[in-house]
Amino acid sequence: MADERDPKVSRRYRELGAEEPPTELDAEILAVSRRAAETRLAPLVPPTGRRRWYFPVAAAAIITLAVAVTVHVERQQPDAESITPAPPSTPESRTDALEAKKDSAPQAELRKAKPAKPPAASAPAPALRAADTARNMEQPEPQARSAPDAQVTGLAMRRAERGAVEEAPERILERIAELRRQGKHDEADKALAEFRRRYPDYRIAEEMLKKVERP
Amino acid sequence: MEAPDEQLMLAYRDGNAAAFETLYLRHRGRLFRFVLRSVKSRATAEELFQEIWMRVIEARERYAPQARFTTWLYTIAHHRMVDHWRRGGLSLVELDDQDPPGDSPDPARQLEARQALARFAQALQALPVAQREAFLLHEEAGLSIAEIAAATGSNAEAAKSRLRYAVAKLKAAVEDG
Repeated sequence: MADERDPKVSRRYRELGAEEPPTELDAEILAVSRRAAETRLAPLVPPTGRRRWYFPVAAAAIITLAVAVTVHVERQQPDAESITPAPPSTPESRTDALEAKKDSAPQAELRKAKPAKPPAASAPAPALRAADTARNMEQPEPQARSAPDAQVTGLAMRRAERGAVEEAPERILERIAELRRQGKHDEADKALAEFRRRYPDYRIAEEMLKKVERP
Repeated sequence: MEAPDEQLMLAYRDGNAAAFETLYLRHRGRLFRFVLRSVKSRATAEELFQEIWMRVIEARERYAPQARFTTWLYTIAHHRMVDHWRRGGLSLVELDDQDPPGDSPDPARQLEARQALARFAQALQALPVAQREAFLLHEEAGLSIAEIAAATGSNAEAAKSRLRYAVAKLKAAVEDG
């Protein structure tokens, strides 16, 4: 380590005094540190015996709840998924539907989410009938409503997962930089202070620092 | 043999409160002086000092010994101080009415020593923030140039330059006295 000290300066600096924090402050900080150590979250080592079931069961319960809430919210809001074409009743219209599947992936996904059901009276061509039979075997009538639900649930789960993931520090910094660009300095200061609190040891790159700090 | 800081912090992260106490007692004085010499009042210094340790406690789960614990600690301190300086609380504590060290009973010499110390304190106070911080991190916290750079988010050249300017100005103040 290159020592840039100057002995005279160091000596004079020491003469300024060796102040220390008050003992009450020491006691307060140490008390907080002890409480924090006691209230540690889940252990880093996997639990053994009966306790090994706790976390999977808890995780499953949380996921189920999140999915249920998300599905409920989705059902409250009419969106593209709720607008589906009328079920095709003839082989021609079924062929049209198959053609339409080539349109675009999102549309195809939407259609998959709400598959059309042929009425019992229709007489599809043999090849299509075979395909229908196969589809019907996969999705028997009593579960017809649960199939789209499963698709919606899949979407909802992905959305729930996205929401659950904490915003990345880089993204937060970009948001703060944007606030600065917009001249919202007070807001940016608050956001930056909160960022520092959440990520006290995060090293902000020089370039980003210029963007997020008050000019 | 004393346990290294990094080991103590890891032990605390894993729930050992006694490890934190050792660590705290080891660093409290230096960190407190670093903060005290960077702000206006002792009350503010105490508040900031406490907040820095709270952040250390909060960040324990994310602690990984990638550098010396001291560098990590002063990185946290730097960030907190930057927040404080941004709000405009930039100054140094005034010297208490304490006698400077020395065994001279001569009142004239004592006065002279006090004045010299006051000049030094003023010179330290007059330093630009970054230079003063570099000086305090080096002199008080014992950080190397590279560690100052890491703690303050700058580069080694900038850290070295700031420290050199600071020492040169303080040396001039000492020699004036």
